[in-house]
Amino acid sequence: MQPLTPPNAVGIEVVAAQPTAADRAAIDHLSRTAGRVLAPVTYVVKVRLDPMPPVTSMGWALYVDDFRIPKYWEYPEGIYFTMVDPQFFQDHRGGALRFSSNGTDFTDTGLVLSEPELVPQDTADLPEQADVLRAR
Amino acid sequence: MTVLKNPGLPGKRSFRTVVYASSGLNYAAVPLLNQYQVFDTPDPDFVTGRLDISVFANLGASVPWPFANTDVPVNGQVSIPRGGGPFPLALFAHGNHSPFENSTPGYLYLCELLASHGVIAATIDVNFLNGNNFGENDARAIVHLEHVKQFRTWNNTHNHPLHRKVDLDRVLLVGHSRGGEGVGHASLFNLLNAVQPDAFSPVVPLDGSVGLGPYHFTLSAVAAIAPTDRQYEPLTGPTVVPDRYFLMHGSQDGDVSSFEGYNTYSRTHGVDLANPMVSDGKLKVLLWVIGADHNQFNSVWAPEFSPGPVISRPDQEQVAKVELGALAQLLLLGRDGYLKVLKDHATAGLWMPTGSRLVSQYQDPRRLFVQHNQEGLAPPVVSAPVLGTVTSSGVQASRQRFDLVNAGAPVPTITLRLEWTALGARIALDVSPATVPADQFKVLSLRVGQSTEAQNPVGQDQDFTVEVSCGSRTAAIRVSSLHRLLYPDVVFGTGKIVMQTVRLPLKRLARRGVEVRDLRSIALVFDRRPAGAVYVGDVQLSD
Repeated sequence: MQPLTPPNAVGIEVVAAQPTAADRAAIDHLSRTAGRVLAPVTYVVKVRLDPMPPVTSMGWALYVDDFRIPKYWEYPEGIYFTMVDPQFFQDHRGGALRFSSNGTDFTDTGLVLSEPELVPQDTADLPEQADVLRAR
Repeated sequence: MTVLKNPGLPGKRSFRTVVYASSGLNYAAVPLLNQYQVFDTPDPDFVTGRLDISVFANLGASVPWPFANTDVPVNGQVSIPRGGGPFPLALFAHGNHSPFENSTPGYLYLCELLASHGVIAATIDVNFLNGNNFGENDARAIVHLEHVKQFRTWNNTHNHPLHRKVDLDRVLLVGHSRGGEGVGHASLFNLLNAVQPDAFSPVVPLDGSVGLGPYHFTLSAVAAIAPTDRQYEPLTGPTVVPDRYFLMHGSQDGDVSSFEGYNTYSRTHGVDLANPMVSDGKLKVLLWVIGADHNQFNSVWAPEFSPGPVISRPDQEQVAKVELGALAQLLLLGRDGYLKVLKDHATAGLWMPTGSRLVSQYQDPRRLFVQHNQEGLAPPVVSAPVLGTVTSSGVQASRQRFDLVNAGAPVPTITLRLEWTALGARIALDVSPATVPADQFKVLSLRVGQSTEAQNPVGQDQDFTVEVSCGSRTAAIRVSSLHRLLYPDVVFGTGKIVMQTVRLPLKRLARRGVEVRDLRSIALVFDRRPAGAVYVGDVQLSD
């Protein structure tokens, strides 16, 4: 296999944001299936990369410990994924962020999953995701 | 018998190519996306709606797309044959690439070829999913299926130029790279009325009730060019493609260098251990193109870095045109003669670029496995319901989930490795003739490939003899008389072991006096090279 270089992750930040309509559907779904009422909050987990890797078809799956993040997306400073269930951060508190291209060999980024920032009482005060993901 | 024509050459039909796109697009206002301005002014007859794919995908936040994931466009370029139709439909989807470059036109060379033979062929815009994203290939599948739906809509729309011109019983989906993974998921989603994309998402109806679907198209096949595998994984596990499956990949692929589509291929139409006689009725085909890279299958992508020699872009496109042309001739246009090309790439030898080196596999829906090796890792056996025993002399035989092509874990299938160190070594499958109705089949077939292990001389073809016996008569056939067993093209590490399907016509055995109704033994005799290591799979009777 080609000796691919994994992305170089240099920082992680978890930002509470307004849920999109799709996020609200996910919140409703998880509230029903988990039997817990979830607040209308989307946690945007931003992983800063330096440098930004080239766009290829081969990809690097992102793991928190052994849990594979199903999907992530690009933003100007790196990649991000969203999570609507705060329990995720409890279950994976301090979990190591790792990349793998094949599910067998892992590269530890040296970063761990951080706690979400405090959510304001009135979630309407949360920023829009587009604002959270804008270039600084 | 009709002489086959080169399916990679243009046909006689004239055609026109038009742009279809969603209304209200204004890429012109976004200088960074100026390559997409072609979609700002679609043909007035081919204006489309929008899709809400927000449950499946976000859009990369680094690109100023002039729309959101709740209203992505349905854009493409379609080549339409002139004439009455109805015409079969082929839809090509690109893979991941810089989102600032429009990848869509890269398959026009294939669309125009197919259109000239009487196929409506389009290349679709999935660029808004491109970037440093991961796991989005379910969304690529949904977009691909929604484009089929668009053509169904046009086919059903009075006064539309495509009214009653699309043969929706003959549809081919082709995807390259991540789009190649996507067509496998599309094949699966096509059967569903709803899907839950992942554990965090709600169930999404695909029945048209909220915009997506219904699908349930008659897919003649899905074809994957240099695909990824399992970047998206359904909650039900790795996708098993339910339709006919075609896979093509280049040995000098400097992007998807792992040939992970091989795992998709292995999962698809595999043997059911509980019902080994039962076939799902679908064929699968694999073509390994030595010297082909990743990007040259798309005519607008610059070649990526490949460490070894890469064949020229015209040659690589010619391979794609011949193979996909043959697939379309067979499955879309009903020209059965082209099945020969899929069964054995050598049939297309004269149409391929000079000096082409190819390896191919073919699994026919009609087959009776004599030894498929999927029972487990114990020493090799004859596979039920065929009864018999395996004996060997001078051969080390072991079964493992070998990762033959660096496709990554988990390896779905078990392969038999055979090693010998002296001439005359052999392994024989002695079978009960009553359990082997060979007279009902046309060929004895197996897959075999050599490795770069030290036993195999560098750069030399491997060879051995297949001995088939009915007891009273034995025929000995050199494998090299059926096919070359090429030394691997080593690009990374130890190279990839891509097995070649070897098909021995039973008529040839009969001509040598073997009574195929009374077949008693199939032996691999290593009498051509003093030493070697080969990997063997799927010894079977087949058509």
